[in-house]
Amino acid sequence: MMTQLQAQDCVNCTPPVYDPAPEWPIEYITVKKVDYPRNEKASFCQRPPEIVDTIVLHHTETPSTKNALYINDLHLNRGTAADPWYMVAYSYLVNAPYPKESVPQSLVSEGRPIDIVGAHAGSNAFVTMDEEQTKAYADGKITCGKEGSVFKVDPTIVRGNTIKANVTTIGLVVIGNYAPVSRQNPGGYSPRNPRYPTKETQDMIARLSCQLQKKYPRMKNIRWHSNYNSTDCPGSIKNYVGQIVARAEELGCKFN
Amino acid sequence: MQIQLIVLSLLLCFSVIASDESEMKLLFTRYDQVMSSLSDQVEDVFSKKFLEENGGKEGFQEKIKGLAKSNFKSMPVAKDLSFKKGVKSDLYFAKYTEKRTEKSLKGSHTGSQFIIVREDGKLKIDGTLSDGE
Repeated sequence: MMTQLQAQDCVNCTPPVYDPAPEWPIEYITVKKVDYPRNEKASFCQRPPEIVDTIVLHHTETPSTKNALYINDLHLNRGTAADPWYMVAYSYLVNAPYPKESVPQSLVSEGRPIDIVGAHAGSNAFVTMDEEQTKAYADGKITCGKEGSVFKVDPTIVRGNTIKANVTTIGLVVIGNYAPVSRQNPGGYSPRNPRYPTKETQDMIARLSCQLQKKYPRMKNIRWHSNYNSTDCPGSIKNYVGQIVARAEELGCKFN
Repeated sequence: MQIQLIVLSLLLCFSVIASDESEMKLLFTRYDQVMSSLSDQVEDVFSKKFLEENGGKEGFQEKIKGLAKSNFKSMPVAKDLSFKKGVKSDLYFAKYTEKRTEKSLKGSHTGSQFIIVREDGKLKIDGTLSDGE
């Protein structure tokens, strides 16, 4: 690691260069950082990323040509004036290639930082806490507040030995509409032309999931939105979780 | 004078909300007709952008043809419409949920958020967004 140069050492030199610790122990896929506008008046919760044990798959239900900033913009409009959303609800957004319909190249964008609780599984969904998650909550490590305020423990995020599913999961969303057309989803695919996650899409999800597990070894489960709520999300993607898990195994990761 | 102004602005606010509500109800009545292929006034319901993204008017009508023939068509359906204005922009998110009343299908579907925009002075559906929270 390079050390910081002292001011008196620096004559006509460029600013000091730091060698930061690598963000990912193993990089299976490049994750793009996005500078999102946020709503500083919104409340949100923080958590130690180490308590996250589950990746929850979603689809945005938008056209696949949209990008992470567009989803952030929509999510900044969600909620109410008194209780608005903080920023994009998912932790990772995947622009997956799809014939004739997608952005030119595949792209993974970071969404809500992993130490900030997401808003994706459903605020009414609770899951049983394991020992470490129970301890993190009891130790006051999961706290809520607004930017610039004191963060406090919020007792409403737990019920007995369960906790809001959003606290112990991250949302991984594929940008696109993978459910069939219906009255609830007029932009869905035609039954004559079903849409499914391509091999490349499956590979992108597997690489990202594996990369996350290498950094956070407790992240051992892959689930999908309809495991937590009555919804069509993530459409046909849920039928390919077996293939995604198998691909992740080829990369050296084990998911339940 | 101040009280009069407050009352006047409250009245204005209530009338705007009431007019939005009736316009939204009308939009979803038309939406039902289009989705049941009982009306071809697709442009009155969907934004230009939505139709472009869904194969144009003809392409979209072709896509939804099968919905009218759905096995569930004749079942009694209870519908529930609610909407909220966007926090930052001039758009709305609407929830339009259906509850089938047949025993085996009891219970409601979480559904999606309809994105509603104002185009050419009219409310129109611009797409949907998977509902999270």
